[in-house]
Amino acid sequence: MDTIIKFENVDFRYESNSEFSEPMAINGLNLEIERGDFVAVLGHNGSGKSTLAKLTNAILLPEQGKVLINGMDTADDELKYNIRQTIGMVFQNPDNQIVATIVEEDVAFGPENLGVEPQEIRKRVDDALKTVGMYDYRQHEPHKLSGGQKQRVAIAGVIAMQPECIVLDEATAMLDPRGRQEVMETIRMLNKELGMTVVFITHFMDEAVTANRVVVMDNAKVLLDGTPKEVFANTELLRSVGLDVPQVTELSQFLSKMGIDMPNNILQAEECVTAILKVLEVQGGCLL
Amino acid sequence: MSIIKAENLSYLYSTGTPFEIAAINDVNIEIEQGELVGIIGHTGSGKSTFAQHLNGLLKPTSGKLYIDGVDVWESKKTVRDVRFKVGLCFQYPEYQLFEETVYKDISFGPKNMGLSEDDIDKRVRMAASFVGLKEEHLSKSPFDLSGGEKRRVAIAGVMAMSPKVLILDEPTSGLDPKGRDTILGMIKEYRQDTGNTVLIVSHSMEDVAKMATKVLVMNSSRVAMYGTVDEIYSRSNEIINMGLDVPQITRVFMRLAECGVDIGRNVYTVEQGKQELSRLLGKA
Amino acid sequence: MVKDITIGQYFPGKSVLHRMDPRMKIVLTLAFIVIIFLCKNFFSLGVMVVMLAVMVASSKISIKLILRGIKPILFIIIFTAVLNIFYTNKGDIWFEYGFIKITSGGVYTAIFMAVRIICLIIASSLLTYTTSPTMITDGLERLMSPFKFMKNSVHTVAMMMTIALRFIPTLIEEFDKITNAQKARGADLETGGLIQRSKALVPIFIPLFVTSFRRAYELAFAMECRCYKGGEGRTRMRQMKLTKIDFLSVILLTTMCTAVVVLNIKFVHLV
Repeated sequence: MDTIIKFENVDFRYESNSEFSEPMAINGLNLEIERGDFVAVLGHNGSGKSTLAKLTNAILLPEQGKVLINGMDTADDELKYNIRQTIGMVFQNPDNQIVATIVEEDVAFGPENLGVEPQEIRKRVDDALKTVGMYDYRQHEPHKLSGGQKQRVAIAGVIAMQPECIVLDEATAMLDPRGRQEVMETIRMLNKELGMTVVFITHFMDEAVTANRVVVMDNAKVLLDGTPKEVFANTELLRSVGLDVPQVTELSQFLSKMGIDMPNNILQAEECVTAILKVLEVQGGCLL
Repeated sequence: MSIIKAENLSYLYSTGTPFEIAAINDVNIEIEQGELVGIIGHTGSGKSTFAQHLNGLLKPTSGKLYIDGVDVWESKKTVRDVRFKVGLCFQYPEYQLFEETVYKDISFGPKNMGLSEDDIDKRVRMAASFVGLKEEHLSKSPFDLSGGEKRRVAIAGVMAMSPKVLILDEPTSGLDPKGRDTILGMIKEYRQDTGNTVLIVSHSMEDVAKMATKVLVMNSSRVAMYGTVDEIYSRSNEIINMGLDVPQITRVFMRLAECGVDIGRNVYTVEQGKQELSRLLGKA
Repeated sequence: MVKDITIGQYFPGKSVLHRMDPRMKIVLTLAFIVIIFLCKNFFSLGVMVVMLAVMVASSKISIKLILRGIKPILFIIIFTAVLNIFYTNKGDIWFEYGFIKITSGGVYTAIFMAVRIICLIIASSLLTYTTSPTMITDGLERLMSPFKFMKNSVHTVAMMMTIALRFIPTLIEEFDKITNAQKARGADLETGGLIQRSKALVPIFIPLFVTSFRRAYELAFAMECRCYKGGEGRTRMRQMKLTKIDFLSVILLTTMCTAVVVLNIKFVHLV
């Protein structure tokens, strides 16, 4: 397996303000993420999912254990910038990532920090903006953009540094439905067409269903890890830790329990329709 | 008598120029006391603008607005009164907390109403209990609380004014499913206990379907529909055409109906879906 | 609504003035201001007025906007003019009543001062009208960069300015939002004297400060994640190059300067 991110027995705890220590935010985590994968990390607030994200690019360092990025140890101060060039991060608040007064200048910020040659920066900025569909807005002021547009600019700013992996820490939590759609389409495209590894932290299960792999965090540990179909089949467990399951999954499980011959791990609406129609045909109760 | 009555309410920007924009245009609506209304619409449809008219924050460029039978813009006094009759809680309200203690912050509204210390105390404690805050929370600094707790403090701050109409703009944004369920449950209980009217501006059709008695659909600065949840969902096609989303289960049943299956189209919760399918499959 | 406020009043465009190198514009504006102060009579001032008119025309900014820039200081201009009329006693006496004396010298000086102030305002406004705040900050940073011993602090200051400029509209929006939220709870920002109204702003400024600190914290992380490590080793995408326009402007300004000096010498008196 071509591993890009590896967590080895990682423990992490936030600093406490009182005499009592904080509970573990990450407890004995062992996880490997493969190059080119599209991983959704799902969990309720406080499950450890955001902490996981911040451990990947040395914003936070493990108390115990190691985090290895392409073999580089995040605890090694000398390698910090190499690690941050490999792993790009997009945060939750669209505004608090944009530094410049004009879109294209903000996208150039990363390459400029890396000392990239000016002509090359220009090329990277243009390419990045075209990739996220914001090229027409390159001379606009960021405060005039919608949330979804700002996040796309943030994504462009990250890909202009040509990382191997992009980590999105609840990047859609503050967006309206259209903004969320824009961002999801963009990162799906980055993964499928540009082969970028995507680690996507969220609590929206409708976003997680489209990933290749879903890791569910609860109480500082990994609760479930598998394909979306495998993970969402555990409807009771997911609900018990405060997460949603797709409505169609619940429905398909209900029918399955009733004795109907139907898969119990349906995730999408169309899938559900097809399965129900099949069942009805068999029972002679419908025309098509 | 309706608690909210809007007559030809409009709010226009840059009037008289070629760039005139209508944030809300010719809104006519009557909302009865005690309803729980879900206000949905695409971004820019005028939902928030309409909400800000209801408590007198925005003055309409034309049309009239009556709250509890009183013309809001009749006098300075009526405008000031409506501020307390209609409690508006904005999106991400936790960013507006400022006082030294939770108690003091919640009491900001009642204090501005000029109530006595006793009354203020009663209101604060009542509001705190509505949102599930305990005694020990009241003496803490709001900045020491978690995000979810802060949000509850902010909502309590508006509830403490005992407004006849409570408007919440996207009360669940940024919350995880558990947090969302907690807040929505709270709001439901509040309405049941007080009998006050509640308006929730939301992007989530699923949330609205679970809670609302009536749904107001805004589209491009106008009122597109106003009716019960059932009535609105019977027009799911129109809703989708407006660029809004319907719950996953609704899509499934719409498609099934399109395929000729003898099934109700008005399904918007999983429970209804289960019932419909049981009925259908039990038949065959 | 609030999004229309722009600091420094920058009006984007493609005119000659817009396209000039910002470093040159800053230097030339300063030079222009110095030369205006060197003018001693209407002839030399006239030369500068003509040059200013040419600059305004080449900026393609409407006269209305230029005049709008003068409105705020109109009072000062009139005040200065009036002072000069009454207190300068030179030349022929045009009007006398008791101890009030209006002389030709006074009137001419008043007009001279007024025209000079207006020229100064228009010249500096042209800089901000045709150069975005980012370009000005950039230009200043690059002008100062030869001073190696200051280089890092120059970069830090420039970075701070850029971030401040970037967030001003956002903070204004935030201010509006918080104000509305507190008004919705009955905050009264209109009644009462200065002290009462200042106190009423506390529920707005405290949340604003708190969110601003949080923003700064998050922004710092985001910048670090994009490998920001200060000015050391940073390149810039936007390269500033001096072009024909810039050289022509230098020549033009030098010519004006010479003309001014000559005219000063030739016509010693004001008139």
